[in-house]
This record gives sequence, structure tokens and C-alpha cells, in this order.
Amino acid sequence: MRLPIIVAAALAAALATPALAGDSYVVGITAALTGPPAATYAPSVEALRIYLNRLNAAGGINGKKVTLLIEDDSAQPSKAAANVKKLLTEDNPILMLNASLSSTYAPVIAETRRAGVPLIFASSACPKDVYPPAKPDEFCTTAFAAGYDSRAALAFVKETAKTPVKIAFAAMAIPLSRAEMDFAEKLAPSLGMTPVDKEVIPPPTADYTPFATKIKQAGANWVFSWAPWVTEVRTFEALQRLGWSGDYVTWGHIEAENELKRIKNPKLYALGADAMFEDRLPIQKEIAAAAKAAGSKYPADEMTEGWIVGMVVEAALRGAGPTATPAKVQASMQHLRVDLKGLRGGPIEWTKTNHFRLEQYYRVYHWSAGRIALVKNWFPYDVK
Amino acid sequence: MTALSEPQFASRLIVQLIVNIVVLAAIYALIACGYVLIYRVSRVLNLAHGELMMLGAYLLLATASAFSGNALAAIAAAIVLSLVVGVLVYLLLMRKMAGEMVLAAVLATVALGILLRGLMTFIFTAQQQYPGQALGLANPALALPGGARISTFAALIVAATVLVYGALFVFLRFGRWGVRMRAAGQNPLLAAQRGINLHAVYALAWALSTLTGSLACMLIALDSGLTSSMAVIGLKAFPAALVGGLDSLVGALVGAVIVGTAEVLSIAYLDPLLSDVVPFLVLIAALTVRPWGLFGTREELDRV
Repeated sequence: MRLPIIVAAALAAALATPALAGDSYVVGITAALTGPPAATYAPSVEALRIYLNRLNAAGGINGKKVTLLIEDDSAQPSKAAANVKKLLTEDNPILMLNASLSSTYAPVIAETRRAGVPLIFASSACPKDVYPPAKPDEFCTTAFAAGYDSRAALAFVKETAKTPVKIAFAAMAIPLSRAEMDFAEKLAPSLGMTPVDKEVIPPPTADYTPFATKIKQAGANWVFSWAPWVTEVRTFEALQRLGWSGDYVTWGHIEAENELKRIKNPKLYALGADAMFEDRLPIQKEIAAAAKAAGSKYPADEMTEGWIVGMVVEAALRGAGPTATPAKVQASMQHLRVDLKGLRGGPIEWTKTNHFRLEQYYRVYHWSAGRIALVKNWFPYDVK
Repeated sequence: MTALSEPQFASRLIVQLIVNIVVLAAIYALIACGYVLIYRVSRVLNLAHGELMMLGAYLLLATASAFSGNALAAIAAAIVLSLVVGVLVYLLLMRKMAGEMVLAAVLATVALGILLRGLMTFIFTAQQQYPGQALGLANPALALPGGARISTFAALIVAATVLVYGALFVFLRFGRWGVRMRAAGQNPLLAAQRGINLHAVYALAWALSTLTGSLACMLIALDSGLTSSMAVIGLKAFPAALVGGLDSLVGALVGAVIVGTAEVLSIAYLDPLLSDVVPFLVLIAALTVRPWGLFGTREELDRV
């Protein structure tokens, strides 16, 4: 299904001064707006759309509007490849974004590289290509960081556990999630933990109980899951129904805040790099107001990732100047620093060799005493 | 907590595995009977079944907010609406396919599925939803003999499957419209000449198929939540219908047990990753031996 949404069009209708792709910055995105992991990506794309709409309404960047062309890939690699090919050949974007499963990365990277257009992984998991020494044309704004997330999660488990840790891992059957759980499984023994099971769960699963049964049977007292939220939370809830009483660390996706409130279980820990809206930061209030004004169907507390993408795209295009080309945008992104105003523990900072960030900060939240509470405040990892 | 001895632990595990098999088989059976009902009557393979069943769960979400505080009314309304949806799909789309090649009708269901998927995401968003929460229904786990556990709604899925299959067997064997449905499925020309209103029979088949699929999806959503990808579960139940034979309800039931067992055991003893492909391996194996399915009718399949 194609969902072309031209950000400038909304403004054009209001001001009767149409902003055509010809005199605007064209940015393309292939995103999982439908399909199994859509709940993780669609709100981010919506946030980006709202952010750029606001930006256009305020006069745009360097006197030009931003046209955002959105294509749905349903998290399918073939659709993602077709989307990117279509955007690159028909619409000439100067920047491409990917907000979809890791299985879409290879075809998207192949197409953007062939066309010489830089690519930002925007709310989809950061691949290792963006860590130092980064591939020149790949960048990432997303909170997830393969490798670093497992280090942080297992460090948290080690610090929190009061008894010897027998740990199980739950992944979704997609490349990045599996690779991360493989990495965590290998890392655990070096931290004194015993890995007892690893479940790789297919995305459309009617019943998670058989997987949970195996985790419980393996005798795990901790589980770490780094996967799309649907896999993380349903595995946890299936374990609960089986009477499992261990502790469960998940990656805190955008859904985590609302889900912690729904589940209300102190043994479910959400490790993440984005501040939850419980913090009530001024920028979070700004996001909430913008989402409300735009009549968004998604809650504002799921929009942090997309908002950060918007801030970064704005900075990148501003740095590329009014006559931006893909090469100029890429050059601009190789020297970029965006203050995230508390949405994360530190800024997005890209250099020629680091297209992720110089420091990755984590926080851990859980449900406690009737509200979401911080278990562990920002703790950084140097990205080398 | 008292530590279990090894035999106790093993016996608990076996009982839990049996419970897991029963639940998964019940899910697949409830979904698969929707494929069978339509195929048996009209020879049309409904490839929008997954989307139609997902629509049923979204209808429950909609009625949950309309009838807030009255779970039974909301569920009853959603069930009635899913019946209406089935009738409408036939009247507005599939009726136009009457007299056309079966392939055209199958392709129409593919298009319908794509349309429904897009519309549901557009209307209800891609977010995870929880109809149980909206209805104020809890889903506590029930302790079973042998130390196994099952969630309340998983138990209800099993109960619903038993009820639906029992009701369908009685309806098709003894009910006036059930006999008409069988007659239309066996020989539509003769049935029409005997005064059976084929359009009414086909509409009924679509309504019942959508109802059973919707019921399955509603219960899954009440058990573990609703996402826009649940249509894919409908596709995973398809091998169960094919293994059993596309024109046999008994076959759908047996096929669901075979596929569910293979899937649960592959998770427990082989590799969890295999759970995704095992239903299709079973399907290939079964079709190699009996291409018309375990309980299917050979001559009928030849006409596909």
C-alpha cells in the first residue's frame, strides 16, 4: 500500500501558496506503517510528519519547505526495495530515511548507495555500519544501539540481581534482534551469568505460551529481550500467566511507557535511551501540544523518536544550505550536533567517522508504588 | 516454594505441552473452519479470511468503547457485526463473481484483504490495542491438574472451538439451511433447480465464516492484545485446513491438531525458529501423500 503524504501540501492548502517538490527539500522515507512491527514505527513517522509540518508553517529551512514522501513497506524487504527505487528514480530526494525492520536494510542501503543519497536509520535499530569507523553514507538517530544495549542491560542485571543469574533471551526472528541476542548470550558468562535459553520467536505468533514454557522450563530467573515490542511484552505476559516470577528486562520502545502503566508489574524493567514523558520536560509538553494540534491518532509519549529525527533532519538540511544536494547533505551530517533538550541523556553528535553518537546514555524504568519510577538514572557508554 | 523432583518436573512439562498444543490447535481449528465453510459451499478460497477475522477483533474494540461497562453487550454486538460484515462482503463483492472463473473470485479476496488491512490501520492505527482492558475484563491464569496453567481467554478459545464445531456439525446435518448449504456445495445447479436460493446460501456461508474467524481473533485479542498484524495468523491456520482437506470440517479439526502439535513440539524440542515453517512442512508432507487432504474429497479438489 502506498501512503504518499506530502508535508508541504497541508501548509499549501492553508496558505494557498503551494510548495512544489521542485522548490523544496525532498526527503523520502520507507517505513513499516503496516505489518507486525508497525506499532513501533508508525508513531515515529507521524511525529516526523508533524515536526516538519510545523517547520514548514514557520517558514521552512533556509527559506525552503521540506517535502516528506512516505512509502509503506509493511516491514517487507522487497517492498522496501521497490519503495526506495521508486522514490530515488521519480522524486529525486536529497536524503532518504528508513523506519522499518532490519530485514529491509540491505536492499535499502544498496539502492541509496547506488544513487549516492545519504541514508538515516530513523527509529529503526542502528546497524553497526554507523559506529566508528562509520560507512560515509549511513547515519542513525534511533535510541537502539546494537551491542551497547546488551552491555547496558546485562550490566543492569548484574547490578540488580541478588541471587546467581540464570538468564534467558527472547528475540524476534529478524536479523538484528537475533544477532543482538546472540551477542548478549555470549557476553553473559563474562559477567558471571549463566545463559539457559534463547527463544527466537517468529513475528506473527498466535500464542506465545510455548516459547514462555521453554524459558520457564530452562529455569531462568532473568530474561532479557531486545526485539520489537510485541515480542518483548507478549513473551513477558505469557511467562506471567505460567506463574513465572523472575525479572524481565526489555528494550524500552516507544510503547514502553503506556505498557508499564497497563501491566503494573515491578519486575518488568524498561531499559531505554529516551526519557519517558513522566519527566514532564518542556520539550515533551511541546510535543504533546503539537500532537494534539495536529489531531494525531498516536499518543504524544510515543513520538520522541520521530521528533528527534525531525530535529536532526532540520539541522542536516540547514547545514546543507539552500542549494542542497545529496553530497552536501551528507557533508553536513558528518559535522552535526543536535541538542535534544533532555529527550535523551546527551546530544546527537556525528563526526566523519561516527554516525551514531559520541556517548550513548541509558535509563531504566519500572512500575513502582502506583507510578512509573526510575530504577537507574542516565548512565553513559563511550561509543568507540 | 518446594523444589520439584525430576519426574514431577517432567510430568508438569508434559502436561503443559499438552495444554499448549490444545490451545494452539483450538486457535487454528476455529480459524480454519472459516476457510472450509466458504470453500465447501462455493469452491472459493477466501484469502481475505485473516483480514476479516482481524476486522472482527477491531469491531470488538469499537463496540467496547460504544458499550463501555457492558462487556457482554459489546461482545454480542461485535459478533452480530461480524455476521453482517460477512453478508456484506458477499453481497457487495463476491456475488459479482458468481459465474466467473474461481481464480477471479480468489483474486478478489486477495484485493479485499489488502484493502481491509490498509483501512484497519488507517482507522484503528498500527498501535497495540487491548480490548480486554477496554471492556474491563481480567485474564487470570487458571491452574489445571498436573501443574499446568492456562489463561482464562485461552481456555475460552478451547471452549469456543468445541462449541462452534459442535454447533456446525448439528447445523449442517440437521438444520434446514445447513442441508441447503451442503446441497449447494455438492451440486449448485441441481440445488438451484430444487428451489434453493444459492445467493442466500453463499451469503450465509460468508457470514458464518467471518463469524468463526472473528470469534477466534476476538478471543486471541482478549487474551494477549490486538495488533494490525494478526491477519497473518489467519494465514498460519491455512495449512491446517489444507492438511485436513479444504472441504471437510472434521479435516480442519484434525489438521489443526496435527499442525498445532508439530508447531509446539518443534518449539519445545527442536528450534523455536522452526515453528514458523513447520506448519508448511507438514502441509507439503501431507499434500505429497494425499493432495486432497486427509479428509478432503478427491474429485472436488480436481476442480480447483
